Amino acid sequence: MARAVIDPVTRIEGHLRVECEVTDGVVKDAWVSGTLYRGMETVMLDRQPEDAFYVTQRICGVCPISHSHASSMSTEAALGIEIPNNARLIRNLLEAAQFLHSHILWFYTLAALDFVSPINALSANIADTYALAQAAGTRVADFGAIAKRLTAFAENGQLSFLGGHYWDHPGYVLPPELDLIATAHYLEALEMQAVANEVVAVIGGKFPHPMTSVPGGTAFVPTEQKLDDILFRFTRLKDFIDTALIPDTLAIAPFILETTTYGGGCGNFLSWGVFDSADRDPYNRFLPRGFVTGGLTAEEVGPDDVTEYVEHSWYDSASGLNPAKGETSVNFDEYNVDNKYSYGKAARCKEKPAEVGPLARMVAAYVYEAGGKTLVEDTSVRTPKALIDLTLEALGVAGKPEVLVSLLGRIAARNLEAAYVVDLALMWVNELVGAIKGGDSSYFKARESFDGQGAGLWEAPRGSVGHWIDIKNNKIQGYQVVAPTTWDIAPRDAAGVAGPMEQALIGAPVFDVERPLEMLRIAHSFDP
Amino acid sequence: MAHEGHNALHDLLTVRGVTRRDFLKYCGSIAAALGMSETMAPQIAAALEGAPKLMPTLWLNGGSCTGCTESIAQVDSPDVATIVLDYLSTNYFETIMAAAGEQAEKQIEETIAEGGYIVIYEGSVMTGQDGNTLLVAGKKGTEILSEAARGAAAVIAVGSCAVDGGWVYGYPNPAEATGVQAWLNHEGITTPVVNLPTCPVNPEWIVAMVVQLLLVADRDVAAFVEKTEWVTRSYTDRKYGAVDLLMPKGIFGQSIHDNCPRRGHFENGEFVTEFGSKEEAMGYCLYKVGCKGPQTFTNCPVVRWNRRTSWCVEAGSPCIGCGGLNWVDNNSPFFHRLADMQMGDALGNVQPGSVGAVVGGVAAAALVAHGLGMKAAGRVGDGPPMEEMKKYDRKRLAKKGGDK
Repeated sequence: MARAVIDPVTRIEGHLRVECEVTDGVVKDAWVSGTLYRGMETVMLDRQPEDAFYVTQRICGVCPISHSHASSMSTEAALGIEIPNNARLIRNLLEAAQFLHSHILWFYTLAALDFVSPINALSANIADTYALAQAAGTRVADFGAIAKRLTAFAENGQLSFLGGHYWDHPGYVLPPELDLIATAHYLEALEMQAVANEVVAVIGGKFPHPMTSVPGGTAFVPTEQKLDDILFRFTRLKDFIDTALIPDTLAIAPFILETTTYGGGCGNFLSWGVFDSADRDPYNRFLPRGFVTGGLTAEEVGPDDVTEYVEHSWYDSASGLNPAKGETSVNFDEYNVDNKYSYGKAARCKEKPAEVGPLARMVAAYVYEAGGKTLVEDTSVRTPKALIDLTLEALGVAGKPEVLVSLLGRIAARNLEAAYVVDLALMWVNELVGAIKGGDSSYFKARESFDGQGAGLWEAPRGSVGHWIDIKNNKIQGYQVVAPTTWDIAPRDAAGVAGPMEQALIGAPVFDVERPLEMLRIAHSFDP
Repeated sequence: MAHEGHNALHDLLTVRGVTRRDFLKYCGSIAAALGMSETMAPQIAAALEGAPKLMPTLWLNGGSCTGCTESIAQVDSPDVATIVLDYLSTNYFETIMAAAGEQAEKQIEETIAEGGYIVIYEGSVMTGQDGNTLLVAGKKGTEILSEAARGAAAVIAVGSCAVDGGWVYGYPNPAEATGVQAWLNHEGITTPVVNLPTCPVNPEWIVAMVVQLLLVADRDVAAFVEKTEWVTRSYTDRKYGAVDLLMPKGIFGQSIHDNCPRRGHFENGEFVTEFGSKEEAMGYCLYKVGCKGPQTFTNCPVVRWNRRTSWCVEAGSPCIGCGGLNWVDNNSPFFHRLADMQMGDALGNVQPGSVGAVVGGVAAAALVAHGLGMKAAGRVGDGPPMEEMKKYDRKRLAKKGGDK
């Protein structure tokens, strides 16, 4: 028996510690700890609801748009505002840009280095690299120049951000040519995630922390030029997703198929739903709302189904509260896995731990589609079920969607979701152009009320995000946020049930407790 | 070409297909960001091309949202900006580094032991719960900062959180956040701190500072401080008292209002009064919906954001003044314009430009210079009809039942 610890878990947003008890090379128990407390919910008190839109998105510099949308939606729910249709489309486009930015950045910059070794890429044969890229249907780059640059980097003796890592770990199994392709795309992905954020800048002024999805609609009024700028960039992103992100995923997967055998986790999947349709019904969102706890059915779920426990978290506020009545009173105690060990609260849905994120959304969408629901009328859009079925077939496991509930499944789901979202984005640009041509010039609805309570339930790239607001006389009396990562990195609850990431770690193999690569991969797969 | 084939930069430029013309153009934009004449571009280019080895850098994340890291990832790539950043050897950078856990922590220890490095600090300094509100590898975040800063050649505090605690410092500051300079003062650490506020930081400013420190000043911190023009902003931290912040004048010496492309509409009295309206479509001034441009001192309208794609005001949002100090408390409610702060009544009938200077805490000399600048641009005159606006505000507030 040994303890394997990763602290800090790098290549994430925020501060995270993962500790596992490992016996005979297998994780027997796991504790995941959020090690930063900032207190946004308390800072928001006594301010005006619009201020929450601007400030609360600063919880997360990777998914500020999703937080800002959840915040504005909570205010709109509280004050009874339905935003204009043009604002709905503009918010969908902004959110889509956020998803594409985040998913591309996650796969190449944050997660890939758990599988791809740029050091191993140094021994790639350049001709073979071109041949492999062609065979895999993935895009080519100037592989020779990139190899030369990598070599210069390595020979300089300063490995910079690649330094100190265990590149000789036997878990790095890709052929050097594939490592070189992925490294080339790592560099290109830096460009593409920035292109996605240029869309954010066009609509919202800047990324991170865009400025225009104010409660009531949007402050952005598109011009023909701006719409063209947006369309051009989504077209570039679609090209990259189709010729790099998806083929790279399929090229790497066969080498790491053993990752379909672990890392699955709690098996309960929550999606609040994201990307509003014209009728604003959360069950008709393009990625619909649902709670899947096994089998091919999705339950209805809403804000009242959430509870947060603090028995194992560094708070002395009451435990088991719904966020509408939530409290946040921080009280650090020592780090003790048998008692309190995290600033994360244990969020539970219908009293169960719930995984959130692309896998959860794609599972929910798959279940709905399998039940005969049409997610999108436009047949040029590749839907979640079609994308998943094609992938299962490519990996030789056709008809076995349960394979998705694994480490590899969580990785693949994120990249497949990007393919669906970019198709939707192109569709919405055209829809917006049509609406404007048709004379619709409404973008914002001023509020008429100054009191109310509401919840904004939405999805960030990394999972379900909820903001709860209580407004009296135009002042915020109560504000609670259940962020995506709160769900996934949840510690144990009152009953001692482990959180989703903890459950995903339990049962995973660990080849070397001093260099726990498998644990790092599982933590990253949640994009915490 | 004098530098042909003989240095790392030339190779990098060639590999990435950047022409010399593009390169000089970029050096010109760096010069502009530093407040120098664009005719300095050749000197900057020469300094860049003569650069020696990589400068060891520790990028530390305090109580951050990682937004400043995200922001730096938005520079042009592959382009000259990333090449400039290639001059840094980022030995520790939690968000992008391959290593994790123990292996990552070793990178910090080794870099500190070797010395001659800079620290880039992102996020608030977390002092709450006796420093336990941020733990990394079981260590308090405050201890990590102190250890790294003590031996550093310089610290660059990026983003509002690192500068003065940012939104985390917002009342009642439950996590007892503070800024890097305030914390280092408290610890008696005298390493120079360069402050780059806004939320997040604009990556072009980091590039400009890196160029200035590594290349124009040849990594000599004393020369860097001497060769850069600074403004000093002062504020009082509720826990740590008076703090003076050093900021590069080229970036933080002019108000947003002065450089705003919508400024002409302000002069003409053409305002947006509701979001997403006809007036917005015509690009009118956002002052009446709360724009904090007059009191906020950054060159956002010039440098813009996300590879010069746009910026807040261009997209239709009022500036919320995230480049100011304690911006969440001082500038909210964000939709209420400056007149609501009663600054005009307290100081007599002053124009937004000079109110901005006072709120921004700029020294009196800067205020004079600013006023002269306004005059030279022919912008002072009688100014816009402030009293009418205040009347309008009062009426609007009474009608909508809102309060401050």
